[in-house]
Formats: sequence, C-alpha cells, structure tokens
Amino acid sequence: MQKADRQLVRFAFIVCVTCSVLLSGVAAGLRERQEREVELDRKRNVLIAFGVESRDETGRRISAERVAEIFADNVGQVVIDPDTGEELPDSVVEDRAIRRKQQLPLFYWMEDGERQRYTMPISGDGLWGRIYGYLALEDDLMTIAGITFFDHNETPGLGAEIERDWYQEQFRGKQLMADGDLKEFRSIRGGVESQYPDGNPHAVDGISGATITSESVARLITEDFRRYNIFFKRLRDG
Amino acid sequence: MATRKKTITDPLSDNNPITIQVLGICSALAVTVQVQTAFVMACALTVVLCSSNVLISLLRHHIPSRIRMIVEVSVIASLVVVVDQVLRAFFFELSRQLSIFVGLIITNCIVMGRAEAYAIQNPPAPSFMDGLGNALGYSFILLLVASFREIIGSGSWYGWNLFPEGYVGSGLAILAPGAFLILGIIIWVQRTVTQNFKDD
Repeated sequence: MQKADRQLVRFAFIVCVTCSVLLSGVAAGLRERQEREVELDRKRNVLIAFGVESRDETGRRISAERVAEIFADNVGQVVIDPDTGEELPDSVVEDRAIRRKQQLPLFYWMEDGERQRYTMPISGDGLWGRIYGYLALEDDLMTIAGITFFDHNETPGLGAEIERDWYQEQFRGKQLMADGDLKEFRSIRGGVESQYPDGNPHAVDGISGATITSESVARLITEDFRRYNIFFKRLRDG
Repeated sequence: MATRKKTITDPLSDNNPITIQVLGICSALAVTVQVQTAFVMACALTVVLCSSNVLISLLRHHIPSRIRMIVEVSVIASLVVVVDQVLRAFFFELSRQLSIFVGLIITNCIVMGRAEAYAIQNPPAPSFMDGLGNALGYSFILLLVASFREIIGSGSWYGWNLFPEGYVGSGLAILAPGAFLILGIIIWVQRTVTQNFKDD
C-alpha cells in the first residue's frame, strides 16, 4: 500500500469514528428528553380528544405539570382483549401485542368515581406513512365526541390539514353506528353537502387535494371502531 | 475587508443561491406552504451551512482530494442529524411539522455546493461569512415564497389570519406547482431589475 493510500484510509477511518461517536453521543444524551416530549404530546392529545381545553386564556398550551395532574386525577387506562371484549389484567399486557392491535388500549375519563367517557387510540396507513390519533366517544359509545391526530407524515398544507381544528371539529357528533349495526364512516370529496344536502351523520368533508389522506382517515376510524366495538357492545347492552 | 463584505452580500442578490444559481429548489418548494415552517427551515439551514463551511475549511488541508466529497457529505449529514435531534428534544411541535424536511438538508445542493466551491479552498473565517451569506440569501427567498403561498393559499401569515372569515384559499398556491410559479416570477423580477444574467 502506498503512503498516500494509507493516509487516505486513515483519514476516512478518523472521519467515520468521529462522526459516529458524535452522533451516538447526541442521540443518547437527548433520548430521555425526546421520549418525555413524545409522551407529553400523546397525553396532551388524549386530553384534547376528551375535550379538555388545550390552551389557557392567554393562548398558551397547558403545561406539562398540568397535563400530568389532569391525567392523575381523571384519566385511567384499560387494555381490552379484541376477541372476548374483556379487560386484560396488567400482567399479560405487552407493548408488542398493542402495536399489532392484538391488545387494545383504551383511556377512560373518571369523575365522581365513575368512568364517564372513553377515548381509543386510532391508527392506520395514510398516503406517506401511518397516521396516529385518538378518538373520544360520547356516553352512548357510538357518537364521536372528539378526534385528534398526533403523528403522521402527510403532505404539509394538504394531508397534514388533518391536524387542524376545522377538520377535526366536523367529526364531533358524527355517528359510528346505524340501527344497532356498525356503519362505514366516509369522507366525501367536495364536501358532505354536495352529496347530502340534508347532512349525513356518518360522513365528513374530505380535504381538497388530499383525497387519499381523507379516505384513509375515514377507513381507519371504521376499522378501529370495529375492533373496539366488542367491548363497547358489552357496555351498551349493560 | 471589502471582499469579505462582498462574500456576505453577494449571495443576497447578485449571486443568490436560489434565484441566480437555482439551487436548493427542492426545499424551496417543500417547506414554503407556511411561513413558520419556512422560517425554522431557514434557521436550521443557516446553522448547518455555517458550521459545515467552517468545519470543511478547517479540514481542507487534510482531506484527501479523492474522497473529499464523501467527507463533505459525512460532515454535513452528521451536522444535520444533530440539528434534527436537538429540534426533536427541544422544539417538539416544530420538528413534527418539519418532519422529514430537516433530514433533507443533507441533500440540499447549496450546502454541498458551498463546501465544494468555497470552503474547501478558503480559510475558516471567510468560509463562515460565505456560509452565512448564502444561508441568508436562501432564507430571504424562502420566506418570500412562503409569504406569498401562505397569504394566497391559506389567507394568513405566520398563522395569523389576514382576511375576514370566508376567504377561500387557493389550492394552487398550496400545491408544489404554485411554488414553481411564484419562484419563477421572483426570478424573473429579480433578473429584470438587476440585469444580472447572461444571455448568450
């Protein structure tokens, strides 16, 4: 090996090692903080789905302490078996099974010692990647009380509009069932009014320029509600 | 001193990386739907460009010329990942909005272009100035395009609503072709005003 080659290899080696040490250091050093932010963001979104004001009078987002406080006071979590619709004991709950939707986590809102409302995580494929969100139900366990999306890779300005209030607010009061049966939820291109002048309780306006994202959202709501319905059905039937 | 000043002011107009060299177009289209994302992108690029120029310039006598491009990319990529990680830890909301675009700074032609064209053969201080000048030139155009797109497309600026309720945003301004049109017009106006172009 010539001298120049040796120098070249040595330089390349040094660059590689320096870069990897730097990056691992940064990643490891910041991981805890990043995970805390992700966790906080999820909790915030659960609260938004439950209809808690996410901003105070001055327009600032509620603090991390306040989120933790509300969570401790009012929010609880159970995990459902999708086959039997029964609550699973903590001992068998696994993160992996939850990711595969073989176990279904569910948040409930506690007030006066009673479970009052439920919020379920929803997720499914969008245009560019998976979309994650939460959907809260009213007491009847079939009417949408609120919806949020907290993680997605949709196109900014188009599909990413699913994060906006105007889009999420139109879900409030929509029905996921009709005459005691599951009803497919739909996203209407051109707006609900264009096809149903009298309105449609099972559909929302699609986002123009983001038809695939809008329809994905409608589909993932339908599919995930179907998964949880076995549990809700037991509650509805008393 | 005069040349140093020129290093910084040149890229703002006479040698603007976007409108004259037509580099960095990908991100100029991608992040300019809203002024806020454009602003963060501009800041991130400024940090990356200045530091990469300084680092490359410091290493310039040691980098073997046969692998200099790989080394440049390694340095740039490492810096970008650091910026991305920091954003995720301290500006969670923004990092979510920018999503993949921060990562795409790596492939931003301006960063690599300045490393190759300037930093590799100049001392650190002028390289820093060069990076800063180019970053500012880029940022200026980015914010200009974003302002047009957000105002026309969403009726707001930096998230503030400008028009009364009921303004229907133009979908064209939000979609990538709208950015092309606006960028084209900006380039046209600039070249007409400065008469700074060669037409053989």
